[in-house]
Amino acid sequence: MSIVETSADDAKNDATGRFHPNLLGRRTPIAIISAIATTVPAIAVIAVLLVLLSKALPAIKYNGVHFLTSTAWNPGNFYANPVVTNGVEHPILAKYGVWPLLAGTLESSIIALIFALPLSVGAAFIVAKKLPPRLRSIASTFLELLAGIPSVIFGLWGALTLGPILSKHIYPFFAHHAPNIIFFRLFRGNTGNGEGLLTSALVLGIMVIPIIASTTRDLITAVPRLTEEGAAALGFTEWEITRKVTFPWISAGVIGATVLGFARALGETMAVAMVSGAVLGTVPHTIYSTYSTIAAAIVTQLDSALTDATGLAVETLAEAALILMAVTLLANVAARYLVKRVSSTSLPIGKGL
Amino acid sequence: MLHDTPSFDGDVKKLDEGSLTQSENAVLSVRHLEIGFHAKKVIRDINLDMPRGHVVALIGPTGSGKTTFLRSVNRLNDKISGFWTKGSISLQGEELLSKDTDLLELRRKVGMLFQRPNPFPMSIKENVLAGVKAHRLAPKSQHDEIVRENLEKVGLWKAVQDRLNDSPFRLSGGQQQLLCLARSLAVQPEVLLLDEPTSALDPISVEAVENLLRKLVPEITFIVVTHSLAQARRISDHTMFFYDGKLMESGETENIFTDPQMPETQYYISGRMG
Ligand SMILES: Nc1ncnc2c1ncn2[C@@H]1O[C@H](COP(=O)(O)OP(=O)(O)OP(=O)(O)O)[C@@H](O)[C@H]1O
Ligand SMILES: [Mg+2]
Repeated sequence: MSIVETSADDAKNDATGRFHPNLLGRRTPIAIISAIATTVPAIAVIAVLLVLLSKALPAIKYNGVHFLTSTAWNPGNFYANPVVTNGVEHPILAKYGVWPLLAGTLESSIIALIFALPLSVGAAFIVAKKLPPRLRSIASTFLELLAGIPSVIFGLWGALTLGPILSKHIYPFFAHHAPNIIFFRLFRGNTGNGEGLLTSALVLGIMVIPIIASTTRDLITAVPRLTEEGAAALGFTEWEITRKVTFPWISAGVIGATVLGFARALGETMAVAMVSGAVLGTVPHTIYSTYSTIAAAIVTQLDSALTDATGLAVETLAEAALILMAVTLLANVAARYLVKRVSSTSLPIGKGL
Repeated sequence: MLHDTPSFDGDVKKLDEGSLTQSENAVLSVRHLEIGFHAKKVIRDINLDMPRGHVVALIGPTGSGKTTFLRSVNRLNDKISGFWTKGSISLQGEELLSKDTDLLELRRKVGMLFQRPNPFPMSIKENVLAGVKAHRLAPKSQHDEIVRENLEKVGLWKAVQDRLNDSPFRLSGGQQQLLCLARSLAVQPEVLLLDEPTSALDPISVEAVENLLRKLVPEITFIVVTHSLAQARRISDHTMFFYDGKLMESGETENIFTDPQMPETQYYISGRMG
């Protein structure tokens, strides 16, 4: 029928790209500025990678692939004469492994998201849908204030207030009542003084909430009213509208926001350094274990690493940084894939995050 | 001629105080209806009977309250701040404006098609089934059949049968509107409210939608708000002229357009009033 022909025509117009002139092909000032704007970030990423790589190269050679699996963190003896292995000068007995830091980084960030994601999405729905306009803007202001608090303040609060309270009043309950079976076993054991994996994951979660919640709130308000009203007019309950219309409409965007939050948690340094217990060289074995992350270890270890006359300690930190960067990039790639899958099924949005 | 006007005995008259007995074949009866937002009164004392199984056109200048009235029938205005109603709207004797009205059931019986297509973010097939599932109208085994039947009804089956699981957003605007119509039809409504349903469509899609309404009458009563007088004349059996929140005049479409009684109606249909 002719309706079909009309849409085929539309597609052809799109394909000729009449409205997408090749910006690089024209030498107008705007084209040049756009060209710079698009290439600068790419160059920056590549430059950072190359600098890190060149700095880390001796450590990569010395630590080998075991760096990824080893749990050792022993800078060696700085006062004895340096030794040379594989052409790399290093303090005697130096042995490094990033595995505990990598595990700590991933575990704390994932636990943080497990807390933050439902809370953020729930808060966003309440702010966008349930609150009267005045309360809504007050709640939004607090959300933005929360995003602006320096991480050192979160760290201080976690170490001085949240950690002690939780370890005194909340953690012991779980520690005593969790059954000694797989998974729940992680909740047993010594709850310590409040520094450790769970406390820092909670602090990270609170830091991530404003990122996910404010984006989700904006996404919810951007869902066309006509579509939600259409669902109401068809006899959907409020919950059905939320579940079948609003949420699918925003899900690609929520995934994007979640990855932003995840990247923030992966790279968060100060707060984790203050609440983790800063323990190197052991993989956390319960949810309360003291531990450290790559980012926190870099900042807590840099001072002493600089006293390594052979440079290996600093080069090893650069190697760890390289791995952190790789993990962050990987998370972004995974998110892009996820967003694409979600939006290719039925969503009108989601291509441009 | 596009259609044979189904016979309808008795004019839809503007009812006056004396004759408020409900007419036999009225699907919707409106009595002393007043609607407003906060202190502003938008609909002033409307009384009317909507004849069952016809296409009824609501016409009138912008701001005369057509949309407000339409959205009050399926209670879609309830959530809007300051909205209030007085008087009564009843669907086959059942009061719709009461606190106890089952809104979900009301909206199954009284569907709505909007000014622009509004497919849900789910596959074409799931769009057609959305209301069926929400109201649990049919077992799963009948779902495929319902999808096919309703898409055929709106003439979309051939175009989409190979991509039932695809996104509805890749369909053309006209096709999307037909899909929304199929979605509304799938829950077997008694009344369908349409608020300028073709104003965002190209002429060919407009014709497709108009033909459909004529085809689906008299199983369903259509109440169509339109700014196109030509369209009102083409598709409707009865026309109601809203003016400044009042029902100025109503009657058989042919009569309204050839022999309007009120001066406002005369001005409006001669195109001298926005
Ligand atoms: N949410 C609202 N709050 C306050 N006033 C409203 C609201 N919605 C509509 N109105 C007012 O009610 C009156 C009627 O509006 P309505 O949209 O029903 O007119 P209409 O006949 O549908 O007009 P149009 O032909 O332009 O669609 C207008 O004066 C409008 O300003
Ligand atoms: Mg209107």
